[in-house]
Amino acid sequence: MLILFAGAATWLLAASLLGLLDSLKFHAPAFLAGQAWLSYGRVDAARHAAFLYGFGAPSALGLALWLTCRLGRATLAGPGIVVIGAILWNLAAALGVAAILCGGGTGFDYFEMPLSCAWILFAAFLLMGVCALLTFHRREPGFLYPSQWFAIGSLFWFAWIFSTACMVLLFAPERGVLQASTAWWCERNFDTVFLGFAGLGSAFYFIPKLLGRSLHSHYQAALGFWTLAVFGSWGGIPNGAPLPSWIISLGVAGTVLTAVPVLAVATNFYQTARGDMNGLDADPTLRFTCAGLMFWIIASAQQIAGALPGVSVITDFTWFGAAQKELFHYGFFAMTVFGALYFIVPRLLGLDDSAWCPKLLKGHFFLALFGALISGLSLWAAGVGQGILLANPGNSFTDVLRRAMLPARVSLLGDLFVVAGTILFLLNFAGVLARACRRGCAARKERP
Amino acid sequence: MNRGPLLFLGLFAAMACSWTGFVLGPQLQLGGLAQTNTVVVGDALSQTYPLAEPGQARAGADVYRANGCAACHTQMVRPDDLGSDIRRGWGVRRSLAEDYLFQQPVMPGSQRIGPDLSNFGRRADFRGILLRLYDPRLIMGGSLMPPYRFLFETRKIGFFPSPDALVLPAKDAPAPGREVVPLPEARALAAYLLSLRQDGYLFEAPPPLSKTNALEGAAK
Repeated sequence: MLILFAGAATWLLAASLLGLLDSLKFHAPAFLAGQAWLSYGRVDAARHAAFLYGFGAPSALGLALWLTCRLGRATLAGPGIVVIGAILWNLAAALGVAAILCGGGTGFDYFEMPLSCAWILFAAFLLMGVCALLTFHRREPGFLYPSQWFAIGSLFWFAWIFSTACMVLLFAPERGVLQASTAWWCERNFDTVFLGFAGLGSAFYFIPKLLGRSLHSHYQAALGFWTLAVFGSWGGIPNGAPLPSWIISLGVAGTVLTAVPVLAVATNFYQTARGDMNGLDADPTLRFTCAGLMFWIIASAQQIAGALPGVSVITDFTWFGAAQKELFHYGFFAMTVFGALYFIVPRLLGLDDSAWCPKLLKGHFFLALFGALISGLSLWAAGVGQGILLANPGNSFTDVLRRAMLPARVSLLGDLFVVAGTILFLLNFAGVLARACRRGCAARKERP
Repeated sequence: MNRGPLLFLGLFAAMACSWTGFVLGPQLQLGGLAQTNTVVVGDALSQTYPLAEPGQARAGADVYRANGCAACHTQMVRPDDLGSDIRRGWGVRRSLAEDYLFQQPVMPGSQRIGPDLSNFGRRADFRGILLRLYDPRLIMGGSLMPPYRFLFETRKIGFFPSPDALVLPAKDAPAPGREVVPLPEARALAAYLLSLRQDGYLFEAPPPLSKTNALEGAAK
């Protein structure tokens, strides 16, 4: 499992470095443009692939595996197979990103990896997923905690959407516009449900546990879970897409109804923490997880707003969508995963929380928080401004784009923060690993 | 909620609903779309619509895909009440499902850092596209698009100058005795961009009833 997490963190650095390169291009369009593999379109696709398949999916898998073990009080089934799966996954992801840079991207957002890499990814996922299910089967009898639902849900969702994308987009492509509608649907499910489930599962475990309280309401958690599964999986199709309007309307309805799970989850956590809000700041894991939850609420609200036809007239196809993704990925998902890692890693290595260097940890928190905030807000401002100006056909497109560039360029600062934060985390992580190794060696010497 | 099988069944049902609605449903409705005979904007004779891309355009779609052009360019004109696309001259009507029948892969894009290209073939010319690819700022002053120089080759002028060589202004011109020639990828990409047009009148987008109808367009 450690391999999965270590790989994920390194990938995040790779993804954010590519992201940095990406934003740099807006300062000077001609920067590095002479090289085919460093051109904007390829770097942008590679950046997203590195985030989603290098960092996102493996850390979601890692969280699901860990929560299943921990809450079922079971040992991991087939640890060797999981390690093989994790290595295979990382190899395939590296291959895929390289392929995209070489011009092998498929042209579908979120599923840019060529089919050959996608097959390996799916096989690696199956290896790890089957082990997770076997571990789930070994659990102690008794009731299932919400985090377990979320963990199993995220595994199930990934299997379905990824296989759909492989089959219908890449292996035997559908005809015409159907490819677009399927890709939009898969994309929405990847974010809202798959990554959403994994992150929320971790929040449902850590927040009550580290506050030393029990979860306010299991019924409310169940409501949040099922409504997110049902409504979160509808939508993702832009208003005005070349599809029959019933599909678009269904998507808008589903997206708006995700307000139900957002409210259910938010009030549940609020009630759980009520009276002890300061306690939320006491522990690094809690701090990261709570910040992640805040971002989740903001990003979800933005998604709902952007689906309304009155708003989408302005915001569709602008930086607004990029801002939503930034807040969801780097704000919600990455922060939640880091929170979990600060708890999980020392325990996997037989150390305690004091293994982390508190200064690096604090630095990482603020860099990650402000990085996501700055990127999200500046892109948001760029998107709304651009949309309002574009609504008047009298404004020339190029002029509007140039004016929207100023706030969009500020997002470079946010990207820098994220990179710096991730480097701090990796340093800290290396320190913890070194400490664990030293302890292991010392123990071996004593034993003769 | 305490039983594993029940959890799986619930998840399966939720996913199956969504999948039926968003993957299977559209397939059942649109999977059988076919070419039709119709009138194209500005033309009086009926013709088959949409037309399959000519061979070089097919190759150009691959260049478009490989270089991630869709990261900045959409190919989707929204209806007039959902955006200013048509008023901006990006299309004569909204995009419809039929327009994408022969696209492979379909790359509608998600963000406009550059203009929409659904009907780029209606407003561009071959030489102009090549110049834009070589240096976008030659054509459009403040353009944010990066130059795609790797689609071109600067080489020594042979016995005869190449008829394809770019005509560049003095400050961008190559050294004397040399010329800038588009590589096959650039030519294919330009052919693809020229093939982009969504201009057939269809059931969902009939010709306008006002005086500016198709016949009048043809007369011009």
